[in-house]
Amino acid sequence: MSDEQDRPGVVVGPSSPEVVGSEFAEVAVSVDHEGNGPRLKLEDLRTGRVRYLDALELETVVWLPDGHLRQLLDPSAHRWREDK
Amino acid sequence: MDCVTATVPQAGTDRPDYSALIQPERVHGSLYTDPRIFAEELERIWYRTWVYVGHESEVPQPGDYVRKNIGPQDLVMTRDREGQVHLLVNRCAHRANLVCEDERGNSNSFRCPYHGWTFRNNGELLGYPYHQGYGGRGKLNLGMATVPRVESYRGFVFGSFAEDGPTLTEHLGAAAGEIDRLCRLSPEGEVELNAGWLKHRTRANWKLLAENETDGYHPQFVHGSIFSVTGSPIGALYSEKSTAVTRDLGNGHSENDLRPEFRRHGEPMRWFGTTPDRVPDYVAKMRQAYGDEAEQILVEGAPHVMIFPNLFIAEIQVFVIQPLSVDECVQHSTAVQLKGAPELNRRMISQSIGSVGPAGMLLADDTEMYERNQVGAEQLRPEWLEIRRGMHRERVDERGLRVGTATDETGMRGFWSHYKTLMEDDK
Amino acid sequence: MTAVADAGLDLRQIEQFLYREARYADEHDYDAWEALWTDDALYWVPAGDDAADPRSQVSVIYDNRNRIATRLKQLRTGKRYSQSPPSNLRRVISNVEILGTEGSDTVVGANFVLVESRTRGMEIWAGRVTYKLRVVDGEIRLAYKKVSLVNKDQPLPTLAFLI
Ligand code: FES
Ligand SMILES: [Fe+2]
Repeated sequence: MSDEQDRPGVVVGPSSPEVVGSEFAEVAVSVDHEGNGPRLKLEDLRTGRVRYLDALELETVVWLPDGHLRQLLDPSAHRWREDK
Repeated sequence: MDCVTATVPQAGTDRPDYSALIQPERVHGSLYTDPRIFAEELERIWYRTWVYVGHESEVPQPGDYVRKNIGPQDLVMTRDREGQVHLLVNRCAHRANLVCEDERGNSNSFRCPYHGWTFRNNGELLGYPYHQGYGGRGKLNLGMATVPRVESYRGFVFGSFAEDGPTLTEHLGAAAGEIDRLCRLSPEGEVELNAGWLKHRTRANWKLLAENETDGYHPQFVHGSIFSVTGSPIGALYSEKSTAVTRDLGNGHSENDLRPEFRRHGEPMRWFGTTPDRVPDYVAKMRQAYGDEAEQILVEGAPHVMIFPNLFIAEIQVFVIQPLSVDECVQHSTAVQLKGAPELNRRMISQSIGSVGPAGMLLADDTEMYERNQVGAEQLRPEWLEIRRGMHRERVDERGLRVGTATDETGMRGFWSHYKTLMEDDK
Repeated sequence: MTAVADAGLDLRQIEQFLYREARYADEHDYDAWEALWTDDALYWVPAGDDAADPRSQVSVIYDNRNRIATRLKQLRTGKRYSQSPPSNLRRVISNVEILGTEGSDTVVGANFVLVESRTRGMEIWAGRVTYKLRVVDGEIRLAYKKVSLVNKDQPLPTLAFLI
């Protein structure tokens, strides 16, 4: 029945079964099986940019110290820089 | 006797003379209508004393955040990775844009949509785009502002914009015991406020609401329509024959203590309008958790307490008063949820929907009165609102607190005496 | 009132019913409005989030048949001050669509705009209504009405009339 309206803030892309979204970012998350082993597929829905993370990379993220994560969250750490 | 004019009396300074406006038996109408007084209230009450903001159960997980407020101030209540709760002012440190727009969400960091400045959920600045404009990364020490003092009591989070002042425990004083009474109705000793909020826009001064919360004189009139069609026993609690009392708890807090009536009947769950056999799991869990004390808890029921200036616990509902201007505020209301009591929780949600909020069969009528009362207070004569009811029969109880009968204006007098102290405070 | 066949409600009959329901509400004809409901009625005005479960989250209104009766009894006392005197109301129902069927119920969607006038001032209410209609003894009855206000996430003024 179509009387329920869409929940705000949740965007469902065509190929993305799950979206981790907030008012600040929306990333489609799925496990990709195209390779010889599974990997996490992350798609930034606002730009279309895709990043795959394998198991070892994910484990590294799990162990990333909070301070390091904060540095990465600086918008000019890697993304919005004059030299890019 | 009525020699004061309808304009705000002055006392040699350009500040209103609160001693003239607030008298033991009456208060001046301008307290509800003068925008200058509202501006002073923001400064001396809302942006200084402890104000209730939210409940820890509204941000259960690290990274959770909800939009909250202190009067017109837009706040974000967050929980950081370590589990600590913060109150941030929802304003970007760059050019003051709102940082959070959603009512709630989960994010450990916030990125302002205007120019991309990014903050940790404790307010700390994590960075800004194109850093060369500021001479490099990490050059600015500009975070989102935080409410300087944040403390919680049994999950109820309060904030104070003053760097120092009385502690929350000092502020709550005797009212803390009423929060305890609410919590002990849960077999796990905890309440949660996670059933969502109704937001009721009210064109009235916030003090009309605060005063009404423990006014036991009005229910038979304002709520007579619903009492008569449901045969509700609530009306009798606030009759001239009632043994319930109105108590000034100090610091502007007050309660309608209904326990004498419930003790007189001595029936467990009567306070909830039911009997133990209809909520057997709850009663069994309570007896298991509290042993011999359980009977008393189940007989005495929930508190009915107004905590200055904005938190009203009305048995099974919680109200938060948010003033927006001298003649407008929002009442936020929700159903209390008792941890470990699903049987009661469903009923409390259903009863709350029936009673409170914009369509509530109780609160719509209170709100109609607030709005008519505001219009009345704007009329010039006779200038005063009475608060003298029951003064002659007030007594002091064993805790040294002033007590009146169920229909007396003891709570209002307590409210005004604290209000006056805050407004006259020269700090 | 026109009697209708047990199945196959057509849009015209549905519209006539919705307009009548709207008129009873606008004119505070509580008896006629109450008589439209089935015994398993549900009258729902969500707050905040449409997708929230009304049994675990508060709503503005979530009335079963019993509570509809209580609400109307309160209004009939004449001492429901938030509707005494009653608001002056007129609403427009539009964009009526048959959305499908659920068992023997026909599910209908519509938009509405309502202007309320009372001493406090004018209020404009608007939103989406979902109805479930059922033919009982040859007459259309209302089994479900959900009113999703456009501003349900914002502070709402008193809503003591029938929306
Ligand atoms: S105002 Fe927030 S980044 Fe500019
Ligand atoms: Fe009331």
